[in-house]
Amino acid sequence: MSGARGTAALRGHASSITVATLSTAFGVALLQVTGFLGALITKDPAAGRSTETLPLMLSILALVFIAISIYVGAVVTANTFATIVAGRARTIALLRLIGDSAQAQRRGIAREGITVGVIGALLGVVIGTAFAVGLDRLAVATSTIPDIGYGLGWLNPVVVVPMVAVVLTTWAASWIGSRRVLAVTPLQAIGGAQEAGREELVRRPTRTVTAIVLFVLGTAVLLLGVGIGLISPFGVLIGIVGGILSFSGLIAGAHLIMPPALRLVGRLFGRAPTARLASENALRYPERSSRTTIGVVIGVTLITMFGVAIASFSDMIHAAQADQPEVYAGTDTILTAIQAVFSVLVGFSALIAAVGLVNNLSLSVVQRTRELGLLRALGFSVRQLRTMITVESAQLTGTAVLVGLVLGAFYGWCGAQSLLGSINGSPGLVLPGVPWTLLAVIVVAAALLTWVASLAPAHRATRVAPVTALAVD
Amino acid sequence: MEITTTDMGLVARVQNLTKSYGRAAGEVTALRDVTLGIRRGEFTAIMGPSGSGKSTLMHIMAGLDSPTGGRVWLGDAEIGGLGDTQLTLLRRRRVGFVFQSFNLVPTLDVAGNILLPFELDGRRPNAQEKAWVDQLIAALGLGPRLKHRPHELSGGQQQRVAIARALATRPELVFADEPTGNLDSRTGREVLSLLSTASRDYGQSIAMVTHDPVAASYADRILFLADGVVVDDRPRQSAEEISRTMLAMESAA
Repeated sequence: MSGARGTAALRGHASSITVATLSTAFGVALLQVTGFLGALITKDPAAGRSTETLPLMLSILALVFIAISIYVGAVVTANTFATIVAGRARTIALLRLIGDSAQAQRRGIAREGITVGVIGALLGVVIGTAFAVGLDRLAVATSTIPDIGYGLGWLNPVVVVPMVAVVLTTWAASWIGSRRVLAVTPLQAIGGAQEAGREELVRRPTRTVTAIVLFVLGTAVLLLGVGIGLISPFGVLIGIVGGILSFSGLIAGAHLIMPPALRLVGRLFGRAPTARLASENALRYPERSSRTTIGVVIGVTLITMFGVAIASFSDMIHAAQADQPEVYAGTDTILTAIQAVFSVLVGFSALIAAVGLVNNLSLSVVQRTRELGLLRALGFSVRQLRTMITVESAQLTGTAVLVGLVLGAFYGWCGAQSLLGSINGSPGLVLPGVPWTLLAVIVVAAALLTWVASLAPAHRATRVAPVTALAVD
Repeated sequence: MEITTTDMGLVARVQNLTKSYGRAAGEVTALRDVTLGIRRGEFTAIMGPSGSGKSTLMHIMAGLDSPTGGRVWLGDAEIGGLGDTQLTLLRRRRVGFVFQSFNLVPTLDVAGNILLPFELDGRRPNAQEKAWVDQLIAALGLGPRLKHRPHELSGGQQQRVAIARALATRPELVFADEPTGNLDSRTGREVLSLLSTASRDYGQSIAMVTHDPVAASYADRILFLADGVVVDDRPRQSAEEISRTMLAMESAA
């Protein structure tokens, strides 16, 4: 038994290390590339007067994307730690029983968090730098750019920023994720193996109020931006502030939004016992499910937002082009390129969130071994079990993607509307543009994620022997 | 023409059943050449000290584990060599389980747990089955609890739900594995009375594995196992008599 628990814990940390590594590598690679581009532009006389501002702009943009990915990484890690703690409840209870304090236990888990963060940061700086160097070599080899002999420039001290940020956020995430250690009582070590049916949502009035205030205020400012955008393109600046506020509100209020959304999507899978059980499972730990899905929601929202904003730009510009064709020549290509770059950059945080989702489903199946055995003993076939896990996975990804698409479409439209509502030839209020290709990519990615996430757990679940249900530990 | 299990008045039987785990030097034999039958409509207790092989016997008879040697029947069907799919259907339709640790599905409410065996079969109970389930719910006093989830119930109430679930499909045989192991003695006695009532009033065949003489005293018949062999087969006995038999087995060993 301790062997199984050990592997589960190791697997949990392997995923957190992956997340920390990915976050760091992304940040380091982005900073290295922008640093390199800065050096390249300075040496390139053609860049002219923009030598001062362009590298700075690039760095700021890079930092924004890094912050997003590190935030998503931290949410994922907090969740992974919470799941690990839930799985360790009996061991923790046993240690409490023989006299260990809950605080000491929690500090121990936070130490594991720091270790995970440090390992991830070290791996990430190597991988990220290697990636940037490889990109440079590739570009030089294909004569896309001249060889500027960047050399020691790769030892850029700025990479310490994402490294430190990842260590700190991983540590904080492990601390937040281990909150439930405090709720484990020594009695759980000797009591029956009865698991509480459903984790009740912790009431956090402050967080709820903050979330609602941010969202309402932010949305009001955002709509004000859209309104002003009808008169002046500066409306977009107000809109951005409102957008950031209202989206932050939504993220803070994930525990209010995601469970109902999950329930709603769960109904779509029908009333068959497999689907019903799957739907209940996805809601068993609402806090965990909220955190599992919110990372994906953030990624999909941002990607969709850029997609819809750019598609709406295109629509408006096409409308405006009818009047003044010469002014808008060549904008389509630029917009497509911008969309591709932004999608990839934001897509990375979606990837991190996906790692979290896969891991979470995996862990939750490991922790449900007895229940799976029970279902087998009662006559659940291997196929039904597999379907149940796949539906559970589909419910999580499906909900996250749907919510992300709706939010992204709204924010994207607001962005486009507030920036371009006042331009010459624009029809004023427009319908949001639909980026069909991007939508197709997102749907395919979601299906892929559903499949990948259910692969390992379904395999493990089908190997649970029905006798497991009768075992008394 | 072989004589069938039904002809013998049995609901399940094993013949020359052997089960061993591990291989070569580390081999452990849980059951040695066991032959026995569970009578239809009776409440049978399978008693024995821990390590006697009683749980293994139950796992094999219920299609949860496969025999190393010998033959196993549930009703007239031989189940020893069945594949996983057939065993799954067998467990779904023809046997019921009551576990020591209750084992309700935590995400379903009481009604959901009781109806689960029907749902697994992809159907709703018909009028007759519905009436039976309602009767069970009333008899077990679960009416006011139907919307509760397992963690909101006491151990005794959870075990009542498990009994209702096991009886709901009117399976040929209900297996009960130490059903009172996690209950206080008063609640335990209630659960045992419910099982013996189910057998007496509804003709439900029940096989209960236990090491508790008080629990076994509720059964119509008691099979004693020791070291993987059936050592005794007695009709209903008082807890005192059962204890004496057990002690005699201990000292003979």
